[in-house]
Amino acid sequence: MSEARDTILAALEAARPPAGPEPERVPPPGMPEGAIARIEQRVQEAGGRFARAPAARWPTSIEWPTPLAQIRHLYCSGAAGHPEIAPRGVGEGVHDLQDLDPLEVCVLRGRFVVVENGAVWHVPASPLERAAALLTDHLVVVVRAEDKRATLHQAYEEIAASQTAFGWFLCGPSKTADIEQSLVFGAHGARTMQLVLLDEE
Amino acid sequence: MAESRRTVHSDRARRFVADEARTRWHDEALWFVRSKRDAAADQVPDWEALRTEAGGIKRAVLSRLPELWRQFEEEATQAGAVVHWARDAAEHNQTVASLLEERGVRRVVKSKSMLTEECGLNADLERRNIEVVDTDLGERIVQLRNEPPSHIVMPAIHLQREQVGALFEQEFDCPPGITDPDTLVALARKDLRARFLGAQAGITGVNFAVAETGTCVVVTNEGNADLGTALPELHIACVGLEKIIPETRDLAPFLRLLARSATGQPISAYTSHFRGPRADWGPRGSELHIIVVDNGRSRLLAEPAFREALACIRCGACLNTCPVYRRSGGHSYGATIPGPIGSVVEPNRSPSRHSDLPHACSLCGSCSDVCPVRVPLHHQLLTLRSHLSEAGHSPRGRRWALATTAGILRHPRLFRSVSRWGRQLARVMPERWLERWALPWTRERALPPIPAQSFRELYSTRARREGGLSKSDRARREDGPQAP
Repeated sequence: MSEARDTILAALEAARPPAGPEPERVPPPGMPEGAIARIEQRVQEAGGRFARAPAARWPTSIEWPTPLAQIRHLYCSGAAGHPEIAPRGVGEGVHDLQDLDPLEVCVLRGRFVVVENGAVWHVPASPLERAAALLTDHLVVVVRAEDKRATLHQAYEEIAASQTAFGWFLCGPSKTADIEQSLVFGAHGARTMQLVLLDEE
Repeated sequence: MAESRRTVHSDRARRFVADEARTRWHDEALWFVRSKRDAAADQVPDWEALRTEAGGIKRAVLSRLPELWRQFEEEATQAGAVVHWARDAAEHNQTVASLLEERGVRRVVKSKSMLTEECGLNADLERRNIEVVDTDLGERIVQLRNEPPSHIVMPAIHLQREQVGALFEQEFDCPPGITDPDTLVALARKDLRARFLGAQAGITGVNFAVAETGTCVVVTNEGNADLGTALPELHIACVGLEKIIPETRDLAPFLRLLARSATGQPISAYTSHFRGPRADWGPRGSELHIIVVDNGRSRLLAEPAFREALACIRCGACLNTCPVYRRSGGHSYGATIPGPIGSVVEPNRSPSRHSDLPHACSLCGSCSDVCPVRVPLHHQLLTLRSHLSEAGHSPRGRRWALATTAGILRHPRLFRSVSRWGRQLARVMPERWLERWALPWTRERALPPIPAQSFRELYSTRARREGGLSKSDRARREDGPQAP
């Protein structure tokens, strides 16, 4: 297949257009007024739920998709760890990622949230964590309220520096509008998604 | 032979518009998406500057493709991925098939990728007895109906809920008459979840390939590309040569533009960055194979008039705004990529098959106005018409008519007499004959009333009546012909 490689690179070389001007860069906009309110609005527009809670007591102060005591299958990222919510029904005993299914709730900790679109940057701690975030019915993502970035410009400056192997922006639950443009949540992944901004006291 | 194989957009469109209610629904649904795009763009104060930035990055990329791809290959390899190269569709499909067959893979899930659609990957894999399941809901629907997507972002936009209900009734053994989208999606989710869990490999497209880090970025709303790659041990990412961008920071303008232009969302639900395979954790680790595909792209790069089409980020905004696309449906284009961008790319790929497409356009320019990377689509469509015509790809009737007209226009005296006699003849001929003679132009248009005198005759009559030319008339004459 190296023959294909050489042919393609040679064809690109032969067709190379003359270099034009350097692209004009847009100076990234700064942090807007009322950033938290914007995040809340964006998350809700994306079909997600939004909550703010004190960092020390957040598990008892947010509204869970099912009452916390009744959740039987719960994955909780170590980074989001809180004494109130140890993993249940899943853990390191899971050998095949497929065995995670069905998972009721998955709790993740996001690195930061982007104000312009309400998306959270998350770097899964393990392949298990990534699979859990997808196979779960309900996703809860906690982020420190101070970890905000105005736009994707600021976000990518930080991502570029971190050089992670896998990372993703998550915004709202899994959704589709493929049947007559009717918006339906829970196409494949999480049916609900809640973003919880944590305030240090 | 070439004539009969040529796509005739208007003929296919006639089939679509036969259902008037559906045509109106289709038109309005897409216009609604276009309005959502406008609302989303309005919320970004630097929107126009962003379009310029993104377009500028892509244009600069076109002059740096060889070194960017070499850099990508090096970085991706260092991160543990394997990079393959494919000159055409056959080579691409062969590479995918070999990767699957070497590992004994029989069940594959695939997320949306216009590239694999272009390469006809599904049919190829099925011939080799490999089950491939499209997992994007819209793509799954059209796959089950055994038809191609009609839109690059909304593959089943041409269908209505009753049709989907009828399809699911056959496929999923559910009660008849279900038309509620929530119930239909739940049925598909249940079926597809089992397929995700049982899949041995996941195939995805790539929205952006970052040279600096060897990263592939994949964007979905459903999360299907993620489910398809988070579980199986093999991930094959298929990427066209045009998808490369130099640096991580370049992702910012493109991702700020992409979902807003496509569906009016500020960002899609899942934007995943794959840099190498999943970390090697024993049985949970995975392989990542990236197939870099040319399939006509380097040839398009060599066309100065059209190479900017390689900047396209496949958002579909030009389809949603196009008055022809909205009213004729994606299947009327008879090509993998419909709409304005398809009408540039597809005839460049196979001129003899798709030479009709640049004419499925009113040159209104709306596509160029919404394009997030400022591809001058309607200018390209106009230029492409003349290129195709010069290369002999126009229908015989049009070639004859234009050659005849050109011959007449070159000879003023001949022109005058033909126009005089033609006008007299047209005025006495029954209208029905005249319209039949001017087919197919008159199929959807009425001929204007034929005037008794030409402009020149009117003018000289007037000049005679008013005793010669006025001063300004003479001045104008001396300056030569004026633009109207």
